[in-house]
Amino acid sequence: MAKTIIDAHNVSKTYHTNMIPVKAVQDVHLHIEEGEFVALVGPSGSGKSTLLNMMGGLDEPTSGTVIIDGVEITDLSENKLIDFRLHNIGFVFQSFNLIPVLTAKENVGFVLQLQKMPKKEREQRVLTLLQEVGLEDKINSKPGELSGGQQQRVAVARALASKPKIILADEPTANLDSASAANLLDIMAKLNKEEKITFLFSTHDQRVIKKARRVITLVDGKVASDVQQSPT
Amino acid sequence: MLVQIAWRNIWRNKSRSLVVISAIIIGVWAGIFILSFSWGLYKNNIDESVYRQLSHLQIHHPRFVEENDSKFSIPNTDEIIAQLKGDERIASVSSRVITTGMITSPTTASGVKIYGIDPTAERAQIRLHESVREGAYFESGKDNAILIGEKLAEKLKVKIKSKVVLTFTNVNSEMVSAAFRVGGIYRSKNISLDKMYVYVQQDKLRELLGLQSFESNEIALLVKDEAQLENIKNDTKTLVSEGKIEDWKELSPELGMVIESFNLYTYIVTGIILLALTFGIVNTMLMSVLERIRELGMLMAIGLNKRKIFVMIMLETFYLTLIGCPVGLLIGWLTVEALGKIGINISMFSEGLASYGFSAMIYPALDSQKYVIIVTMCLATSLCAAIYPAYKALQLNPSEAIRKI
Repeated sequence: MAKTIIDAHNVSKTYHTNMIPVKAVQDVHLHIEEGEFVALVGPSGSGKSTLLNMMGGLDEPTSGTVIIDGVEITDLSENKLIDFRLHNIGFVFQSFNLIPVLTAKENVGFVLQLQKMPKKEREQRVLTLLQEVGLEDKINSKPGELSGGQQQRVAVARALASKPKIILADEPTANLDSASAANLLDIMAKLNKEEKITFLFSTHDQRVIKKARRVITLVDGKVASDVQQSPT
Repeated sequence: MLVQIAWRNIWRNKSRSLVVISAIIIGVWAGIFILSFSWGLYKNNIDESVYRQLSHLQIHHPRFVEENDSKFSIPNTDEIIAQLKGDERIASVSSRVITTGMITSPTTASGVKIYGIDPTAERAQIRLHESVREGAYFESGKDNAILIGEKLAEKLKVKIKSKVVLTFTNVNSEMVSAAFRVGGIYRSKNISLDKMYVYVQQDKLRELLGLQSFESNEIALLVKDEAQLENIKNDTKTLVSEGKIEDWKELSPELGMVIESFNLYTYIVTGIILLALTFGIVNTMLMSVLERIRELGMLMAIGLNKRKIFVMIMLETFYLTLIGCPVGLLIGWLTVEALGKIGINISMFSEGLASYGFSAMIYPALDSQKYVIIVTMCLATSLCAAIYPAYKALQLNPSEAIRKI
């Protein structure tokens, strides 16, 4: 039996906008096992990003608990949470993913530097990761010199750098053309299959949804459906 | 890594960084210039007092200082002067006979301080001959020549060769009057003293006062290196155990206060300039932080803790200062060096300045300690100025920051 990697109990998040409470996520229960490739879908404002942020420890639930690989992250102090994210969770955002002043190689190596990996070992791993995402010829390019798809692939390589258990991706293909989106999804699916990394991504994109093996639909901050499917 | 990112970050917006660097350069330069100019002004005043009036050290009979009576004289002036002249550390020595009295012209009278000087010795001492505007500096050979200030001459309505009468009490407390002819009219850099001081031949005044040929009221000496002043003063105390020996700061405490107040002035002026600089840096760095909210959020999300974010912002400001400060320092130093040689002519204010003992030519100068103070304050200010923007960055919540556009 596969190990539970994400375990969310009764997770709710209420924002107070102009003193008016807005329930972004309501009593969500979620169990995701190691190696799953999960799409979090739903209309805009359904709470996808909020839920994703809470799974990644970027946002604190108003109530409920989030347990990642046996660690209750909702109990961690801010610094411990940052350290936990550094070692256990990879992030891919919709945009502004990379540090503009660093090259692709430096962006991927950044997380490893934070982990104090020796230089030689780090450079080897960075090269391997950029090869995996097909960017070995762009290692010295800065984000401004890369296309949107290439930037997202660098972001995936960076998310993988610390060998995380989970990669959380918030609308990773939203700004990409079809070819780049397909290429990115293939890379993510391959890494999921070969390295057993759990992927949880929020998306509107039907191309992404079709690749997922499990699709969780959120409506008004609640889980409306949770279905397994065969990826196409 | 943070060092590298911070360095590259400052060049993301070159024009903005250059504006901050320019502000720092101008701030440091302005601080250096204002302080060097002010010090030049004060130094001018001090030099004017020391080299034209007080000298570095003065020796008096202890009671002369208190009672200002000519009868309290230094008895063995010749011996003391001979010994002091033998000291290689001493540039020049002169003795003076001094009394106070009244100068009377056919039209009016005025209270004066009468100096009996050795004209030859005083050429090296207070260089009075350089200030003579009309007539000559005791060159007639006549012992009844008197040198008076321009303002006093105007007040007395006298000219060269005019007759004036000096009246004073001698050492026996008897009134003495003697006629003198104006041999020269001088104008020093200190108008207030020009109205007060008159100079006559030492031997003549000594005779009128009833002093012996080896007696004088004051021995003044200039040293070659002011750093040696304290040692020379101590040695002179041994040489003239009965005399009261005072350096120029003791003779004119207000000049000592000038130096003290200048140190305070250094901090105040530098502080005001740097305060203006602070607002510039805060504004720029705050803009830089607010523009990068999403990026900072992303950095926090992927594992850069807040302490490192704080350090990164501080480093960015530190780099800007590190570039601006030395350039400002260099330009400031070059300005001081150049103007220190050429001088700044402020003759349009010379009349007013002369009343306070200032000359029309100001030679900016600044000691190395002040440069260190300015640079240290500049560095400290810019780092303090970076605290608020860095603090704002710390307030960011990664998820909210990432959502912002």
